[in-house]
Amino acid sequence: MSSDMQSERQYLDLFRTERALFDAGSCAPLNACRKAAAEALERHGLPTTKVERYKYCDVPSAFAPDYGLNLRRVLAEENPYDTYRCGVPNLSTSLYFVINDVVPPTTACTAPLPDGVVVTSLCDAAQKMPDFIAKFYHLAAGKNYDGVTALNTMLVQDGILVYIPDGVRLKHTIQLVNISAAGGNLMSNRRILVVAGRGAEATILFCDHAFGEQHFLTTQVVEVFADEMAKIDLYSIEETSAVNTRFNNVYAEQQAGSRVSYNGIMLTCGQTRNQLDFRLLGPGAATAANGAVIADGNQRVDNNILVDHAAAGCTSDLLYKYVLDGQSVGAFAGKVLVQRDAQQTESQQTNANICASPTARAFSQPMLEIYADDVKCNHGSSIGKLDETALFYMRQRGIPEAEARLLLQHAFINDVLQRVTLEHLRDRLSHLVDLRFRGQLSKCRDCAMCH
Amino acid sequence: MLEIKNLHASVEGKEILKGVDLTINDGEVHVLMGPNGSGKSTLSNVLVGNPKYEVTEGSITFNGKDLLALPPEDRSHEGIFMSFQAPTEIPGVSMTNFMRAAVNAKRKYFGQEPIPAGEFLKLLKEKRKLVGLDAHFMSRGVNEGFSGGERKRNEIFQMAVLEPTFSILDETDSGLDVDALRIVAEGFNMFRTPKTSAMVITHYQRMLDYLKPDFVHVLVGGRIVKEGDASLGYAIEERGFDWIKNELKDE
Repeated sequence: MSSDMQSERQYLDLFRTERALFDAGSCAPLNACRKAAAEALERHGLPTTKVERYKYCDVPSAFAPDYGLNLRRVLAEENPYDTYRCGVPNLSTSLYFVINDVVPPTTACTAPLPDGVVVTSLCDAAQKMPDFIAKFYHLAAGKNYDGVTALNTMLVQDGILVYIPDGVRLKHTIQLVNISAAGGNLMSNRRILVVAGRGAEATILFCDHAFGEQHFLTTQVVEVFADEMAKIDLYSIEETSAVNTRFNNVYAEQQAGSRVSYNGIMLTCGQTRNQLDFRLLGPGAATAANGAVIADGNQRVDNNILVDHAAAGCTSDLLYKYVLDGQSVGAFAGKVLVQRDAQQTESQQTNANICASPTARAFSQPMLEIYADDVKCNHGSSIGKLDETALFYMRQRGIPEAEARLLLQHAFINDVLQRVTLEHLRDRLSHLVDLRFRGQLSKCRDCAMCH
Repeated sequence: MLEIKNLHASVEGKEILKGVDLTINDGEVHVLMGPNGSGKSTLSNVLVGNPKYEVTEGSITFNGKDLLALPPEDRSHEGIFMSFQAPTEIPGVSMTNFMRAAVNAKRKYFGQEPIPAGEFLKLLKEKRKLVGLDAHFMSRGVNEGFSGGERKRNEIFQMAVLEPTFSILDETDSGLDVDALRIVAEGFNMFRTPKTSAMVITHYQRMLDYLKPDFVHVLVGGRIVKEGDASLGYAIEERGFDWIKNELKDE
């Protein structure tokens, strides 16, 4: 789409005319960043495909339709804590909901959190710990201009804070369920802030679901601050709908010895884009990004990852696997940047794609940019079809072709699932992947993670 | 059991089989010999329905059914099994899941319920012990990291579980691998019944010793040009194929 489309115009106009409503429905730290974001967006616009990181994603078209926004922060009538039974069998989680971009009041029924751990809405946190939110909010996301992040910052009204103090290791997974549900086409803008103190450990599971036939456009900006020796594992399961468009920008800043992993399981969507920026700022930090993509129909999935090795002795490991059927389009771009002082960097990235139909398309672009001389970095990428020899071997043993394809596709994706360290979650994901390949993933009112 | 009539087949547009006639009755073991490129592997691939091969003329009936009308999986259910010369690796698909899928597909074909978990594990254990395949192979990917001998043992293990009535043993080039031949031949003999038949592709005397075939057929240029008993096989092992080709020229 041409760059003179100016999809951002309607949002800029809305912001200018309704500024007071945006502010009234939000909180001071978020309000403080709006103006600068709007000015930057006015100057640079939404990214077109001429912007390197967005070359596989037509952002202006995605933002062109006229979506409604819930500026007045109307709460859903139902309390999701009563309505949705979400859970992973044998995995006890501390469960929180975000409906579109509104955080409903938390009621009981979640696993208790240790003292000092905070999981609450950003607006609630801004009242109780204003300096803390003001310090971290937009700290990582604001460093470089990104059109989608700027738009989110201009419009966002709330989100979730997860704070784990120094030395606290969370026993239970924190599960954040994002539900898109509305009476009309709706745009939601969410913000997630994760701050982990020295040696803190947590697993956070994001589940994105969409209900109904409405079109949803979601932007989400996640900022993760991992202090020295902190360990944060993030899981994101996307199980939305064919008319759902989602932009997810994740910014992680990692201090010495910290470990952050991001595991994206992309099962159903219309168009989804996950852009991950990891900055390894202290020596010995480790990053892992894993992705499993199953797409068919007209789904479009774009994963764009930047790992910035700014300190010595850090490691990064990227593994993304796509199974693309129908007319789906999958794109992967990974860039590992090794700065001059980042000696003894170890990095590997792998992207493998199966095009299960002749009309599916895969774009793969692993990149290395290295300014240090003592590093071990490698990358690989492949695009292919299902192994015909294996397929025939299975059919000779009586396994029907459809079932054989399914087993091969599942096996292909399984490498990624094997990196999930929580056994019960791994089993559940494996089951969901199987259902997805069989076309039996339920669009139930309960989230797909349910029993 | 198996009746092949005037079979013509091609691969990638090139005609390889040019009119093969062959009948195999219950309980018989037939050996198929022939020089490279004569069509031995084309014939076996056509029998199991490999989609890369196209049948252009002729018919194959198997226990009265039109075999060519059946997809590969149904041919398997009807009792046809191929022991592959070079069994492929299927990383990530565990032997257990692979066998469960195979067993249940066959049961479904015959209108039966899926096999209960306990019964299935008992079946695997029993057959594993018979063929001497260690338990840890069941959790590995199919043939993933298996040695040559282990792959052959795995073929026989699958044969033992699926209990085919007609087996194709493709040992075209495995003559140098003494273990492989022995594993396959002994395995076939172990599960042989008066009803089970086989078509064996081999050049090697040792295979003839093990299997004691009822018939030997020689395939040259896509046609069966000579037939006999086991002694024909021994003659070829000793003298090669040239004398047969010369006989053809003289005719």
